[in-house]
Amino acid sequence: MKPVNFDYARPKDVAGAIALIGDESRTVKVMAGGQSLGPMLNMRLVQPDLVVDITGIGELKAVTDQGDRIVVGACVTHADFEDLRVPDVTHGALPSVASGIAYRAVRNRGTIGGSLTHADPSADWISILSAIGASVTVAGPAGSRTMSVEDYMLGALEADLRPGEILVSVSIPKLGHGARWGYYKSCRKTGEFAHAIGAFLHDPERGASRAVIGATESKPIVVAAATAFIGDGQGDKPAKGFDANATAKLLEASGMVDQIDRQTHVVALRRAIERAYPA
Amino acid sequence: MTTINLTVNGKQLSATAEPRTHLADYLRDCHNLTGTHIGCEHGVCGACTLLVDGVPTRSCITFAVTCEHAHVTTIEGLDNDEIATELRAAFKREHALQCGYCTPGMMVSARDVVLRMESPSEHDIRVAMSGNLCRCTGYVGIVRAVQSVIEARRKRGAGAIADGNRKVLGPAGSGHSSAVAANGAAKPRETSPTKAAASVAVAPARADANWTPQTTFVQSFTVEHPVDQVWEFFGRIGEVATCLPGASLNGEPVDGHVEGRIKVKVGPISAEFQGVADVSRDDATRTGTISGTGKDQRSNSATRGLIGYAVKQGDRPGQTRVDVTVGFTLTGMLAQFSRSGLVQDIANRLIAAFVQNLEAKLSAGEGAAPAVAAEFDAGSLFTSVIIGRIKALFASVFRRR
Repeated sequence: MKPVNFDYARPKDVAGAIALIGDESRTVKVMAGGQSLGPMLNMRLVQPDLVVDITGIGELKAVTDQGDRIVVGACVTHADFEDLRVPDVTHGALPSVASGIAYRAVRNRGTIGGSLTHADPSADWISILSAIGASVTVAGPAGSRTMSVEDYMLGALEADLRPGEILVSVSIPKLGHGARWGYYKSCRKTGEFAHAIGAFLHDPERGASRAVIGATESKPIVVAAATAFIGDGQGDKPAKGFDANATAKLLEASGMVDQIDRQTHVVALRRAIERAYPA
Repeated sequence: MTTINLTVNGKQLSATAEPRTHLADYLRDCHNLTGTHIGCEHGVCGACTLLVDGVPTRSCITFAVTCEHAHVTTIEGLDNDEIATELRAAFKREHALQCGYCTPGMMVSARDVVLRMESPSEHDIRVAMSGNLCRCTGYVGIVRAVQSVIEARRKRGAGAIADGNRKVLGPAGSGHSSAVAANGAAKPRETSPTKAAASVAVAPARADANWTPQTTFVQSFTVEHPVDQVWEFFGRIGEVATCLPGASLNGEPVDGHVEGRIKVKVGPISAEFQGVADVSRDDATRTGTISGTGKDQRSNSATRGLIGYAVKQGDRPGQTRVDVTVGFTLTGMLAQFSRSGLVQDIANRLIAAFVQNLEAKLSAGEGAAPAVAAEFDAGSLFTSVIIGRIKALFASVFRRR
């Protein structure tokens, strides 16, 4: 249970990190909090020649307010959200979801950028941030690129990073006044990776109604116009209009063949919507 | 080796260690602080939990070098801590420990619950403590101990501090020291494919009637070429292999027996399976099987698989549908990590790339270069093929509403 003997560097800025990552002569792995990479290193599933620790880069641990959104550095931790060291602009959505990630000891080191880049389909950030409509910015030798969170994840364990690129920040929109959100994850044991995730956002001010089915076998399924699930959201109990059949069909079309699996995901989304509109 | 400096239990300590040394090993091996226990060593059991910069941290998945100049508090450093003192009395009173293996981690996590949670229910405490496993007590005593300390403290007016007094952003332990350049101490390891190939002892792949795969899935795809052409192409093993990203053959197949390798890269994991396969096909039914075994030296993992395929007329003339049944078993390191769903996603992407290459090959004729070559990098060739199809289906489901 000891990692291979890797070399270690802790660059002081993003440019330094990019220079190190671009070295194609050896296997280089970027590490933030190391809460997913650590176990994989210990089990020698990953055997890098060089680990680049990006937690010494101040820019990656900063939060800036940009009017209609906040921009959060990639190395901001789950606990930073949970404890409101990152200002909440989502009516409690992100602090609440963050507080349910793994365990407190993991949340004190695990980072938002690390989770998104590790791209485990069952992780929480990818699903809730897709529902909220967040985007990410990556930087590399050819400059920086910005894309939606759901586009950043290509599939299981694959993020859209070109050679030499790292994720630098996550941009989180400030939700409007009447915005409602719901999140539900199905876990048999507290803190484990979810078997199914449902996430839902209805933000009339920003004209957003998004449903996300996460913890599939690949990237989450994002439905940008979620009125299909709940009607126009104007009735007394929009959750009543939830269309389980449409959801199941959607899952089947995405290749989820197992019926129990489909049902678990349908229920997760239904419960997420119910949580958005509590009785 | 690197010199690693930490403030441990208020004392400045220094020792040389490799960057791969995790914090628990550093404390135990370099400073004889054996109060920190190591259980699972991959962040699951919580036995190694200690305080870094005042907050609980898993020391088995936190590398000591990343915490340079941080403040670490181990169980040895909690002797005079007010909450820990109360917890020790409560643990004794409530029989919250038996063998004691989990106790240092339990104490650290329990202290955090007492410090941060104002008036948690029993359920809240169980959830908050769920990252620490105990095999003796059944947790009842532990939960009672935590509950009783919280009750006593709140009665005395000692309130909770929700953020545990942490005021800075970023991973606990980070940001206390300046940049470090790689010193080249760790030599890049040899991964010469020829060397690896020579040492692989490959079992014959001949069919074993009793073998049943662990995981089976079915996948279909359609190519825009006539059945005869596709069926004929599938008979040329070497050509088919060039359509599979990352796959290569050691030579032409002899009597349906072929040796080769496939490189697969999934996120941070890369594997190169060397193996053998037996290929058979039946012209009458236009079905075939490929039965193979392979081994990845680096991760010491092995796989065994049986692929069946059937080539059929597609919905339109000039179109061919191929049904593929894949059954496989994965053992070794990769299997420990793998969840079947992830393997399925990777297989889907591999097949998507295969179909893309197959189309290109069939269109361009013999000897054409494949569209996607080299090793299979799931990220770089995540094409719009399958996703595009799924998106179209989503759109059709929801447009009607």
